[in-house]
Amino acid sequence: MKFLCIPCDVKMEVQVDGIMPEEKQNLAMKFKCKKCGHSIAMLTNKFETEFVSKLGVEMGGPSDISKSPMAAVSSSLAQAKEELKSTDPEDDLIWTEEAEQRIKKVPFFVRGMAKKTVINFALEKGATTIDAKLMDEVREKVGM
Amino acid sequence: MKTYEDLEGDGGSNIIGQVVQLGEKLRFRLDKIKHKVALMSGKGGVGKSSITANIASCLADRGYKVGILDADLNGPSIGHLLGVGNDQKLETKDNGVEPGNGHQGIKIMSMDMLLKSADTPVMWTEENDATAVWVSTMESTAIRELLADTNWGVLDYLLIDMPPGSDRIDNIRSLIPELAGAVEITIPSMLSQHIVTKSITKNNKMGVPIIGLVENMATYICPHCEKEGKLFEGEDVQKLTERKEIPYIGKIPFDTRVSQSKSGNLFYAEFKDSITGKAIAGTVDNIENFIKK
Repeated sequence: MKFLCIPCDVKMEVQVDGIMPEEKQNLAMKFKCKKCGHSIAMLTNKFETEFVSKLGVEMGGPSDISKSPMAAVSSSLAQAKEELKSTDPEDDLIWTEEAEQRIKKVPFFVRGMAKKTVINFALEKGATTIDAKLMDEVREKVGM
Repeated sequence: MKTYEDLEGDGGSNIIGQVVQLGEKLRFRLDKIKHKVALMSGKGGVGKSSITANIASCLADRGYKVGILDADLNGPSIGHLLGVGNDQKLETKDNGVEPGNGHQGIKIMSMDMLLKSADTPVMWTEENDATAVWVSTMESTAIRELLADTNWGVLDYLLIDMPPGSDRIDNIRSLIPELAGAVEITIPSMLSQHIVTKSITKNNKMGVPIIGLVENMATYICPHCEKEGKLFEGEDVQKLTERKEIPYIGKIPFDTRVSQSKSGNLFYAEFKDSITGKAIAGTVDNIENFIKK
């Protein structure tokens, strides 16, 4: 799927940093025209979101998450062993248990992007801990 | 206005590149495995997993390095048969998940190894409105990941224990185009033969080489006097192989010890000199001969 900016007649680019989906629910992905700067959002309902999440590819390009073994299985399998679930790459920030659970609920194929958005927001703000409140602020900021 | 083909790339996700990468990862694993064999049947309950495990045991006994992929995602039994319990810790590394180390050093990967407890079912979502489409898509992805993300290492044989039915073979064939072939398994009952016929026809249409048909539970061996008796009424299975023009590669009698070896070892490892053990060895001879051709 590609998006075309009709006035400029150029391809719109996915905005890797700027996504904060509702966990396992509807999803909005931002695309921007490099030429005129116009942004649009592609909206998917929970059924469409789930379907894409089972394919094993990531929107916005592969992140460290997809380099983990059995990434799609560990992300989608209910009641999987903890050893399999803990394959997300670490970062220097402290994630509270609630924040960690929330980010793990984000569909596999956009989790890398969502995580990046949260981390960048925390770094900009000078925060060292990511908690649920900060994640709510991120959602507020990106307007979804 | 530009069209789809006019626009290079896909807006930054590089989905095609990702799919290529997934294929390369799979190829990296498969290139270290000499022979890949699927064991299947249209019908459930004919002893596919048990036959798979004992064929693996026989191959291991002959000095081959063997692995089993349990492709029966919703009814995994290979871990149980090979002595790899659900309670064993899963070892994950950056380059893959370590396979379970079963009896005789047979490497296995099964959904059972990934689930929290032995009685946990395979569920891809706990939401009630999950659709069959998601499940089917996820199962295809899961098979690819079980194959590509398991550190199989160098193997002579990878046996693929297929689920009942013939639908999964499309998936396996697209992931493993060099599949040496499929071993079809039936019991003598007319019902089983009727359903297995469909699986054979499908493989023929798809160009999946059929190594041959195994007749499991062909007879019953008395554990006390070793006399053979009939277990099922049905048409001669050899006639089916003649009709479908495929080799008849094994007539394996039922032995009660197949499912309850006292030592926990696989039946073949313990009773290879029994009538059933010799029949398993004969089947393996035929599989090896087919592959050597």
